[in-house]
Amino acid sequence: MRRSASASKKTGQTNSTNPISYSPSDLFRTASSKASSKEMERIDNQFYLYANMSSGMIDPEGIETLCSDMEVDHTDVRILMLAWKMKAEKQGYFTLEEWRRGLKALRADTVSKLKKALPELEKEVRRPSNFEDFYSYSFCYCLTEEKQKSIDTESICQLLDLVLGSQFRAQVDYFIEYLKIQSDYKVINLDQWMGFFRFCNEINFPDLSNYNPDLAWPLILDIFVEWMQAKQS
Amino acid sequence: MGGSLYQRIEKECEEHISAALRSLVGQSPDLVVFLSLVEKCWQDLCDQMLMIRGIALFLDRTYVKQNSNVRSLWDMGLQLFRKHLSLAPEVEHKTVTGLLRMIESERLGEAVDRTLLNHLLKMFTALGIYSESFEKPFLECTSEFYAAEGMKYMQQSDVPDYLKHVEMRLHEENERCFLYLDAITRKPLIATAERQLLESHIPAILDKGFMTLMDGHRIEDLQRMYSLFSRASLDSVLEESFSKNEAFCNTIKDSFEHLINLRQNRPAELIAKFLDEKLRAGNKGISEEELEGTLDKVLVLFRFIQGKDVFEAFYKKDLAKRLLLGKSASIDAEKSMISKLKTECGSQFTNKLEGMFKDIELSKEINESFKQSSQARMKLPSGIEMSVHVLTTGYWPTYPPMDVRLPHELNVYQDIFKEFYLSKYSGRRLMWQNSLGHCVLKADFPKGKKELAVSLFQTVVLMLFNDAQKLSFLDIKDSTGIEDKELRRTLQSLACGKVRVLQKFPKGRDVEDDDSFIFNEGFTAPLYRIKVNAIQMKETVEENTSTTERVFQDRQYQVDAAIVRIMKTRKVLSHTLLITELFQQLKFPIKPADLKKRIESLIDREYLERDKNNPQIYNYLA
Repeated sequence: MRRSASASKKTGQTNSTNPISYSPSDLFRTASSKASSKEMERIDNQFYLYANMSSGMIDPEGIETLCSDMEVDHTDVRILMLAWKMKAEKQGYFTLEEWRRGLKALRADTVSKLKKALPELEKEVRRPSNFEDFYSYSFCYCLTEEKQKSIDTESICQLLDLVLGSQFRAQVDYFIEYLKIQSDYKVINLDQWMGFFRFCNEINFPDLSNYNPDLAWPLILDIFVEWMQAKQS
Repeated sequence: MGGSLYQRIEKECEEHISAALRSLVGQSPDLVVFLSLVEKCWQDLCDQMLMIRGIALFLDRTYVKQNSNVRSLWDMGLQLFRKHLSLAPEVEHKTVTGLLRMIESERLGEAVDRTLLNHLLKMFTALGIYSESFEKPFLECTSEFYAAEGMKYMQQSDVPDYLKHVEMRLHEENERCFLYLDAITRKPLIATAERQLLESHIPAILDKGFMTLMDGHRIEDLQRMYSLFSRASLDSVLEESFSKNEAFCNTIKDSFEHLINLRQNRPAELIAKFLDEKLRAGNKGISEEELEGTLDKVLVLFRFIQGKDVFEAFYKKDLAKRLLLGKSASIDAEKSMISKLKTECGSQFTNKLEGMFKDIELSKEINESFKQSSQARMKLPSGIEMSVHVLTTGYWPTYPPMDVRLPHELNVYQDIFKEFYLSKYSGRRLMWQNSLGHCVLKADFPKGKKELAVSLFQTVVLMLFNDAQKLSFLDIKDSTGIEDKELRRTLQSLACGKVRVLQKFPKGRDVEDDDSFIFNEGFTAPLYRIKVNAIQMKETVEENTSTTERVFQDRQYQVDAAIVRIMKTRKVLSHTLLITELFQQLKFPIKPADLKKRIESLIDREYLERDKNNPQIYNYLA
């Protein structure tokens, strides 16, 4: 039922004047639409393998199962990247639409293909043009309550390690140390989160020679830099 | 003929002078004696030259005048003396040494022959060798002397004493210039002394003493510090180039200002407290002129305070108490202080303070009308005297609302007044500030009747004992509804202080939960009218903190409002420009870090955002 509907959606312009003779492009189109609808069917099937029947979504349990099937730890950053690719809204859950979006984009209609697509996905995410978006996504993904704007520092430490640890090991380690010691800030908001990313990209580390607190850096970074400089002297 | 006569006179003089000077060589190991000999030598020369000139006056007026390359006889004598003095350098050297030793002795407290010094230094001047031969080594000596003294005294004395000593020394050196030094030495001399005694010790002085002086309200000492420091930089104007000096001058003023404001609101608070003490009644033996003088001195320090809003908050709080409890020493002095502040800071600063005075005066009129009013005459029982201060909100400090369950009669009286007032000024809202009320109670003690001047809260507590002999703390708390801390303070003032109208069981200074109180049957006191409400004038720690906090909170609102105002106008603005604008607009000290905090708070509340392409720029979010 749906298949044909989606098929006709895809092939917007059918040659209705001469239904008998198909042009090569028509053939291709029909063939590919048939293929894509088959693909979609498989993707949906995969979804229902992991989804919770009552909620109609893949829930945390389902995700864990998925992860073990892919032989990836559920705390692995690549799962977060997958969520990004899916544009998943709620942490720990995938809706059918999100699932479809992600797997279609990755051209994976089976879990094994999905697993194989992970390295490529990682490369894509780490591309500078994408990474900032991924970085900001990962913060928002962790906001669980409706009006929530900030995340507690403990979770931030974990998130930072996960998302930036491989790229900016030193900065992340020191910043995490600082966050654990200080008591001024109990939560971090998106502005501060993004500020840290800019900090990693622009500021020489660990000498911090080009950091200027008179500029618009978030205050928490000014204090972090002061703390670092005190440590270093 | 004139020529040969001149030459013969010159030759005679020369022989005589050279012999006189030579005779000084090797004379007297005692320097003072030696100096006297030199003086005599010089005196003789002067006398003799004068005489010769007198005799050969005609020669001076004709031959000398006609020949430009010929000195006058007097000058000739001087020149010969100078020449032969330089030929006997040990004489000159010994003379200078002797002079310097004498001056050093005098500095160390010994009495010296000032006339001798005077004459010899005049001799140096007359000979034209004062600067080179005397002044130069003298200034060097002075520098060494005060360098050593400065160090010694800084270690030994505390800052106020050190500054007094410095002041004394500078005065001394100044005197020296009148007594025997040439006037041209004054400026470099003072500069040298100041440099060694003050400038090289400024950091230590400010470090060591400044806080103690501020904490101890040592206004006169601070005044001295300021005047010494500002003089120090003024006098070095002549020593250094103009541009260097201006920076230095500013450095002194800036560092003074910086230090006075390092402790944030403390100086403002202390100055306000100091003024409160001076303006309160009970300052015995201080004349009007003295008070005026003190007020002026305080203003000098006031100029340095950056956070004047803190000062205003404390000053207002203290002024309110003085006015409402009738504790001002003199309304004229109060008004004089306000007008000084007005001159200093403009009328906006003093508007509210002036409003407070207006309210007090207006209240007097209202109370007069009230007494005459039908409400008072018909409803207020005779024997009850009631007066009310009606305060305009906004002029007066904010008083936290204090709950209390007034006894029925007091409620009635309050309502009577309210009815009267609202009949005159309809549409106004009156709120009773019970924490500020005070009463005079007539008390019947077995040992004699007394009148007690008490606060309203004390009244409420005491009146409970009209119906009960003994009450527990919790009973009193229940009946009066007074807040816990406040109630404990009130009971303490009635049962644990000097005047014990109540007795507390068990005894002790602090009021505990299971304490009980009884009416003090055995109460006696020498006076008929007794003040028990001193606590109202005292400042509680909470009051102090809350005053400061309110000022800081208020500043936060002002910053937020300023940021929004600026961004609304500009729509798009860089961080650095925003900060610059804010510093221009805000009248109180604030750190850039605090401004950043407010900016981030406004970003969080979505009044502004960082520009997506340039994080240094803020966009206004409508």
